[in-house]
Amino acid sequence: MESRPLVVVGAGVAGTAAAIAAAKAGVPVALIDENPIGESMMGLDVPLFFGRRGTDDIRDRALMLENVAAANDALAEAEEVGVEVRLGTCVWGAFRNTETSRALDGPQLGLSDGERSWMIRFDRLIVAAGARDLGLAFAGWDKAGTMGANGAHSLVSRYEALSSRRMVVLGSGNLGLHTAREALEKGVDVAAIVDVSPSVRGDDALVAELLGRGVELYTSHTVREAGGGGEGIESVVLVEIDDDNEPVVGSEKVIAADTVCLAIGLVPNVELLSLLGCDLTFRSELGGYVPDHDDRMRTSVGSVFAAGDVAGFHDGMALDPEIARGQGRVAGIAAAESLGALGHGEAAARRSDIQAAVAPRPAEAHTGWARWLRSLVKAGGSDIFACRCEEVSCADLVGLKPPRYLGWESEQMSRRSLQTQLRDGPVNPNHVKRLTRAGTGHCQGRLCREQVSLLLAEESGTDIAGIPLMSYRPPVRPLPLSVMWPHEETDQMRGDWPKWFSPTHPVLG
Amino acid sequence: MVVESADVVVIGAGVSGLSSAYFLARAGKDVVVVEKGTVGGEASGRNGGMISERVDEPPIIPLGVESVRLWETLDDELGYPTEFTQQGRLQVAVSEEEMGEIFSDRDKALRHGVSVDLLDSLEIRDMIPGISDRTLGGMFSPNGGHANPQRAVQAFAWAFQDLAGRLYQHTAVTGFKVAGGRVSSVETTAGAIEADVVVAAAGPQTGLLAEMVGVHVPVAPARVEILATVPLEPLFDIALVGNGLYGRQAARGNLLFGGGPHEWTAVGLTTEPSKPNTPLIRNIARRLAELLPGAADAPVLRSWAGIVEQAPDYMPIIDVLESPSNYVVVTASAHGFGISPATGKAVSELVLYGESSIDISGLGLGRFADLGPDWRRSAAGSLSSCRAATAVDRYLAGVLRLKETDMRRRGVVAGAVR
Repeated sequence: MESRPLVVVGAGVAGTAAAIAAAKAGVPVALIDENPIGESMMGLDVPLFFGRRGTDDIRDRALMLENVAAANDALAEAEEVGVEVRLGTCVWGAFRNTETSRALDGPQLGLSDGERSWMIRFDRLIVAAGARDLGLAFAGWDKAGTMGANGAHSLVSRYEALSSRRMVVLGSGNLGLHTAREALEKGVDVAAIVDVSPSVRGDDALVAELLGRGVELYTSHTVREAGGGGEGIESVVLVEIDDDNEPVVGSEKVIAADTVCLAIGLVPNVELLSLLGCDLTFRSELGGYVPDHDDRMRTSVGSVFAAGDVAGFHDGMALDPEIARGQGRVAGIAAAESLGALGHGEAAARRSDIQAAVAPRPAEAHTGWARWLRSLVKAGGSDIFACRCEEVSCADLVGLKPPRYLGWESEQMSRRSLQTQLRDGPVNPNHVKRLTRAGTGHCQGRLCREQVSLLLAEESGTDIAGIPLMSYRPPVRPLPLSVMWPHEETDQMRGDWPKWFSPTHPVLG
Repeated sequence: MVVESADVVVIGAGVSGLSSAYFLARAGKDVVVVEKGTVGGEASGRNGGMISERVDEPPIIPLGVESVRLWETLDDELGYPTEFTQQGRLQVAVSEEEMGEIFSDRDKALRHGVSVDLLDSLEIRDMIPGISDRTLGGMFSPNGGHANPQRAVQAFAWAFQDLAGRLYQHTAVTGFKVAGGRVSSVETTAGAIEADVVVAAAGPQTGLLAEMVGVHVPVAPARVEILATVPLEPLFDIALVGNGLYGRQAARGNLLFGGGPHEWTAVGLTTEPSKPNTPLIRNIARRLAELLPGAADAPVLRSWAGIVEQAPDYMPIIDVLESPSNYVVVTASAHGFGISPATGKAVSELVLYGESSIDISGLGLGRFADLGPDWRRSAAGSLSSCRAATAVDRYLAGVLRLKETDMRRRGVVAGAVR
């Protein structure tokens, strides 16, 4: 098995800074990043909400590799200081020994380059896996052209392969404003920025700049539907909402656009941290469940650090990459120190110039997300599929309906719902997932997890912070059987494979 | 604390406990089910969903035969969907060794009057297009099938509640009050419940509970793993066993297959054990791709693990204790899901009439009479006192020896011991 003293997952701002800081301290570092994402994975909206809006260029892997490398200046510096940079390599699993799993040969990650998979052992791990797009359903959101802010950012800046002519941006926080400006700079016409809030939420100067460039702002508005055909979205119907999120009759506006970009929020990509058993705490102001960490970015699992958006994203970070960069450097130095590559004093000296992130007081995020969701359901109806992959509507979730393909109806079933289930105990999203199948589809729940939690919180009258994290299980990227399988399978594994618990007991009954 | 009372307290909202509770409630008993976690949260909701007459395991054939009959009408009876489908169970052989097992199982089926068919590789390819070219043959059980464990266990729970049964989740048992050789009440984290009868169907915790009434029920917990692919076009609708795996194509189209090495572990009485997967899922992926080369490019979406309990002979235990004499032990040694309808019926009859119309004579605790509490250490020596020596016992002796060695070393058992 491969083995490295330090593995850094994610070559964004934080991960690259972490890898450089550790390498400068003399630690052999492998910096792993899954970009460029293959076309098929991108088509599944994994790991970001790409909305099938990549140009044909995304099929040209060599070109995409070139673009991805060129998009991050710090990568060249990382290679100069000896970081082993591996692009196009995803991390699909993370494993370590625990009370109920004691046979592993050290903590390890599952990697894949899309052709094969393998394991790599680590002494220290820095997870800088970033954040993903918050998905919120509206009528027509399954059409090509609905995408997320990070998906758009990735296609615009990393791949230079965004296929969009005219975009409507949902969300007027800095995330939305930044997305709009980036799109404008790449020649995409931004028709409108929409928010359910009565006023714009983001930076005033940036708002003024965007207004000056002809972008229209629609506050106290939501989306009724996105219309279009085989090529995807062609128009978006906006509608004004009142204080109770009810659509105002006759206030519809039709806007021609081929893209709707959800830039309402980002959700930390904690799946690897979750698999490793790091303690996660719900912090709405940081985007949901985030890892507990000390001031050196060390998680509750001593060998694992977190840095950048994965440690928590707030709207202020959309305009200020220095926060993520600082966290990355802190983590890199701390990992080097914990490996013995730096003495205590030297480590302190190396981080002395890192600005303690101006104690941001980020705002609670989920009330705004819930308001969006409510407005979308009121404007578009509760039959919208919150889980697109498995076609589970908001009404199905609340009604705890068995999946449509079972075609099951009974008087008994019609009496059951989330409300009746609440009599038996607190709301449990994993249980709801298994019964309704919301979150079990191709995108591995990336686009519906938050909606499911928000709906369950609202329907059950539970604070969103009281809704447990829907579990993550490996592989956290959808890998084909033929890719996941171990080409290096040992003779012992081959020969000693049990036929259940003994040779004559093949079946788990 | 409020003291409640019931005719029967069932410990464990897994499939065996809920099936028992359902049949008891249907017979008019006032039943409370207490569950430390959630309905089907452990192995009952996490298994392969396989259903058959179990001709491979003679002691449970009577339960298997009755279960297959009960499954046929279970959805309508309960009023909720279990996704039961009865297109048969097919055990294929991709090696001579597996073919040998099939011949042996066929003989057992004949001896017990269960009808099965031997199929050649061409017949199997007709049944499952795209199956491995290495397939030598197989055994088909036309009455077998599969169901969705999570849905089935929930169906039992809801149907039980529809009969006015009380179900308390997040309620762990902390002790028993025993008087005059009988349990008088069950103490839980939510208060005491007075009961005429206790049914302990607590999976891996069954042994820990029994210790609290001074009885040794020999079960050892182990963690096992399963994976799921994306939904595929319908390929087959049978329960499939072969190449060291068991599994099915779910109604939605996902391939769900598990098998392979399992890890002996330990569980607490009142806490939910963590259930991590390991890189073993890669080996399962490989075996599945080998078994169904036509599906080798299907992406894997997720995997999961479950903790099952195993008795020394890998067979269920369904028995009433001598003392306390109103305490029923129900533990399934990982065979629980498929036979659960008949298990529930048998347990309800034990409670109601003191005996079951289904032959469970091979599943009593008496078979472990000479097994000491340290059986996991001295297993090999004490096995002769179990049922008559068979090939199973010979394997068992070896497996238990390996288990002990490996538990000392690092806690893994890697498979068949020859």
